[in-house]
Amino acid sequence: MDATFLIASAVKVLVVLGFVLLGVPLIVWMERKVIGHMQDRIGPQRVGPFGLLQTIADGIKLFFKEDIVPDGADRVVFIIAPALPVITAFLALAVIPFGDTVRVAGHDIPLQITDVNIAVLWILGTTSMGVYGIVLGGWASNSKYPLLGGLRSSAQMISYELAQGISLVSVIVMTGTLSLASIVRQQEHLWFIVPQFFAFVIYILCGIAETNRAPFDLAEAETELVAGFHTEFSSMKFALYFLAEYANMMVVSGIAISVFFGGWHGPFLPPVVWFLIKLSLFLFFYVWLRATFPRLRYDQLMAFGWKVLLPASLLNLTVTALVVGLTA
Amino acid sequence: MLEPVLFALFSVSAVVFAFNVVFRRNAVHCALHLVGVLLSLSGMFVLLNAQFIAAIQILIYAGAIMVLFLFVVMLLNVKGEAPLLTPGAWKGFGFFFALIVFVELLYTVLSQGGTEGTPAAAVPLPPGFGSPAEIGRILYSTWLFPFEVTSILLLIAVIGAVVLAKRKFA
Repeated sequence: MDATFLIASAVKVLVVLGFVLLGVPLIVWMERKVIGHMQDRIGPQRVGPFGLLQTIADGIKLFFKEDIVPDGADRVVFIIAPALPVITAFLALAVIPFGDTVRVAGHDIPLQITDVNIAVLWILGTTSMGVYGIVLGGWASNSKYPLLGGLRSSAQMISYELAQGISLVSVIVMTGTLSLASIVRQQEHLWFIVPQFFAFVIYILCGIAETNRAPFDLAEAETELVAGFHTEFSSMKFALYFLAEYANMMVVSGIAISVFFGGWHGPFLPPVVWFLIKLSLFLFFYVWLRATFPRLRYDQLMAFGWKVLLPASLLNLTVTALVVGLTA
Repeated sequence: MLEPVLFALFSVSAVVFAFNVVFRRNAVHCALHLVGVLLSLSGMFVLLNAQFIAAIQILIYAGAIMVLFLFVVMLLNVKGEAPLLTPGAWKGFGFFFALIVFVELLYTVLSQGGTEGTPAAAVPLPPGFGSPAEIGRILYSTWLFPFEVTSILLLIAVIGAVVLAKRKFA
């Protein structure tokens, strides 16, 4: 382990961390602007040019709000819970390649924090750990709506994780590797969205459900559960849940890009720029969905996950395995 | 240089978490400390070059099974449960099983040749050791029969769960 490796890794970690922390306010601003225009409003426009600083102002407001821990709450778990989804989101980001290998001062540096040979499993593992933040947040509040919201969303996340994992396995069967960097490298001529279109559809539906975004945002269905698992959280604890939601959107988009949309591959522009363009398009898609579809009912959500997505992903995997087995 | 430090870190945290699983009064806290044990063990697996097992440990045990445990513990609210046995009887059981484990461990250590065994690092690892591809190959060749038996067992469990759940609402 030489010094260049350490320095390069530290720089990459800081860049990714900074990108996410600065990117989240920008996404929130984009979401409010886009939804505003889709609903024939103008969205935020008072703070800064085009309302760009609105989210920063909101962040500062959250930061200075009173931090309340409910009387009957489990103090320690209540404090730890909001941090968990943020931690797992950042852990997942560590294996997403955002650019080709670059040469800096005579050293080849891959633009990815770390390329582990089990990257896909690592991502599935960290996402499954993210459930704890929500279920514990709901439980530690010691209040019925948060508990119901927490249980609901963890049931949802566990159900959709299966189909999500299996849809990724079909790509793994094709590529024969679990490393995201090699999966991206194999897509130089053909993006995997073409041969694995169904896997992509299943993956992105599950991804939206995993991040608890509309139309699968049952964890915080205001009409039934006040604000779901984060009802009792205020100030920075609420901000952490908020941050985690958007960071997880980036993770899901980043994986979708790396596995199905050729990662950083693209003509003319530098790889990193291509990655950012694709990332922005995916995040726009998230917002677009939210403005378009009403929330599902809980039984519809469960039936859709178990009776449609799971069998579809298994079928897709079987067909992929057959094709790969017969042609190899 | 780094490896012994990490090993010490993971093993100490595993033991501390394990003690907490036993001694905590709150069942949810116990479950959470069990997650801690599983994560520490997963770190040990990485140190042993078994990355695949480590990932599976997190994905299946910490990420799925423990969440379901937590579900059950939270929903059942196990406070006013009448104890099955008297505390003295539980202690007797505890000592009995601890004795069995101790004898087992002692036998294993002694039958390995005691202190003069070769340190693990001296044995070169076979190529691809611990990689998903290699594990898959072994699983589907040498250990095919146990593997299939396990899958049938799990299938029976799944079907059994469905049957039991159906009967209740019929």
